[in-house]
Amino acid sequence: MQSARGLIFRRRASNLVSKILGTAATLFGLSWLVWILIVTLLNGAQALSLHFFTDATPPPGAEGGGLANALVGSALMSALGVLIGAPLGIAAGTYLAEFAERRPVWRETIRFVNDILLSAPSIVLGLFVYTIYVRQVGHFSGLAGGIALALIVLPVVVRTTDETLRLVPNMMREAALSLGIPRWKVTVQVLYRAALPGILTGVLLGLARITGETAPLLFTALNNQFWSRDINGPTASVPVVIFQFAMSPYDNWHSLAWAGAFVVTMVVLVLSVGARAYLLKNRMDSNA
Amino acid sequence: MPNEASLAGPREGADVAASAAVAAARGRTKIAVKGLDFYYRGYHALKNVNLEVPERQITAIIGPSGCGKSTLLRIFNRIYSVYAGLEATGEVLLDGENILDPQYSLNRLRTRVGMVFQKAVPFPLSIFENVAFGLRHHIKLSRGQLEDRVEKALREAALWDEVKDKLHTSGLGLSGGQQQRLCIARAVALRPQVLLLDEPTSALDPIATGRIEQLLSDLQGEYTIVIVTHNMQQAARVSTYTAYMYLGEMVEFGATAELFTRPQRRQTEDYITGRFG
Repeated sequence: MQSARGLIFRRRASNLVSKILGTAATLFGLSWLVWILIVTLLNGAQALSLHFFTDATPPPGAEGGGLANALVGSALMSALGVLIGAPLGIAAGTYLAEFAERRPVWRETIRFVNDILLSAPSIVLGLFVYTIYVRQVGHFSGLAGGIALALIVLPVVVRTTDETLRLVPNMMREAALSLGIPRWKVTVQVLYRAALPGILTGVLLGLARITGETAPLLFTALNNQFWSRDINGPTASVPVVIFQFAMSPYDNWHSLAWAGAFVVTMVVLVLSVGARAYLLKNRMDSNA
Repeated sequence: MPNEASLAGPREGADVAASAAVAAARGRTKIAVKGLDFYYRGYHALKNVNLEVPERQITAIIGPSGCGKSTLLRIFNRIYSVYAGLEATGEVLLDGENILDPQYSLNRLRTRVGMVFQKAVPFPLSIFENVAFGLRHHIKLSRGQLEDRVEKALREAALWDEVKDKLHTSGLGLSGGQQQRLCIARAVALRPQVLLLDEPTSALDPIATGRIEQLLSDLQGEYTIVIVTHNMQQAARVSTYTAYMYLGEMVEFGATAELFTRPQRRQTEDYITGRFG
C-alpha cells in the first residue's frame, strides 16, 4: 500500500520526466531546421544583397550577380503549377466528397490512386511530362515545368479539398438542400464557404511543396542563364540554379547557391507556417 | 360515419372508430401517411405506418431512440433521398398528392415543407444572407422586397429585436438558441405550409428551449408543425396531437391530452409512465 504522499511524488516525477523528454524531442527536431537556416545564411551572407534580387545569374568566374531571373522563373512556374493544379484538384476533391456517394468502389479507387500520385517521386513526374510534352514539342520550356509542378500540386489539393468538405457537418448539407436548393448550388455557395480555410491551406501547402522542387524541372524547364520572358523556352528556377551552382568550381556561384537555398527555405517555411496558422485561426474562430 | 372510417385505412375495428372520431375532431388532414414502409440498406426501419397530420396544429412524434421517428420526419420532405440505399414505399399525401411519386418535384416539395434540424447549422454567411439564401434562389425579388421578407421571417422566429442592428455580421456569432431561431427564420422565410422539426431543442439550455417552445405555439396557427422529440414533457407542453412510435411501428396516435392521460395501448402507457424506454 502506497502512501498518498508517495503517490503524489511519483506522479509529479513522471510528469516532469515526460515534460523534459517531450521538450527535448521537440528541440531536437527543430534544431535541424535552425541549423539549416544558420548554415545557409552564413554561407550565403556574402551574396545576399539587393543585387541578389535584381541581377541575373552571372557568367562563370565573374563577381557579383544575383538570382533574379531564377526567382522570376520560379515564381512564374509555381504560379502556373498552382493555376493548373488547384482548380483541377478542387474540382476532383469536390467530386469525391460530394458527388461520388452512389459509386463507393469508384470513389475509393480514385482516392487510392490519388494517394499514389501524392507519394510518387517527383522525378518520375518530370520524366512523365518530358515524355508526353517536351518530346512532342521538341524543346524544354517553362510551360512544361509548370505542368510538371501542377502534377505535384494536384494530389495535395484533391486530398485536402476532399477531407475538408467531408468535415463539413452533413446537417449543413441537409439544411441547404431542405430549402429546395440544388446540390451544385449548395456545394458552391454554402459548403465551399465552410471549407474555404481548409481548401486554401491545401493550395498553400501545394505551393510550398513545389517551391523547392528541382527534379521535375530538370527534364522540363531545364535552366536559363539569361533573362527570358518566354514561357515557351527554357526557364531558370532557383532550385535548379542552386543545383548547378553548387556543383561548380566558382566561389561566387557557391555563395549565390547558399543564398538561394536560404531564400527558398525561408519561403517554404513562411508558406507552410502561414498556411497552418491561417487554418488554426479559422478553426478557433468558428469554435468561438 | 362510414366515410371517415374508410379514410382511416386498414386497421382493427376499435382503432378505426377511435381514429375516425379523432379525425372528425381535428379538422382537415394536411399530411396523410398510408401504408408507409422504409428500408435502410435492407433494414426494415418503418413498418406499415399510417398517420394523419392535422393542418395548422402541432403534432409531436415521440418514442425511444431508434424507433423511426426521425426517419418518418425525414420522409416528409424526402431529404432521405440524398443518400444511397434508402427506399420508401407506400403513400405520403400532402394535400392529397403523393410526395413519394418521383413525378412530384423536389423543388416544389421543399418550398412547401421546411425543416429545422437537431443542431443549429447556420450557413457560414451573414444573418441576413442566411435568411435570404432560399428566397434568392426561388423568387426574384427587389432589394426592398427581399429586406421585407427577411425582416418578416426574423420577426416570426422571434429573433428580429436581437439581431436587427447586426444583420450583416456572421450567423455563427449568435448563441446556440439564437442560431436555432435563425434556422427557423431561414425555413419560414420561404413561407412553407409545413414545418418539420427534428429534436430542435436537444442541444439547447432550458431557457432557450422555452423560447423555442413559445415560438412554436405562436406559429401553429400559420403552419402545420411536426416535431420529433425524445422529451415527453416537451411533447405534452407544445403539441395538440401526439404519435407514439416503437420499433418502426406507429403504436398510437391521438390528442396529446388523451394520449398522455388515457393511452389506449398498454405499450404507450408503459412508455409515458417511464416503466420502459
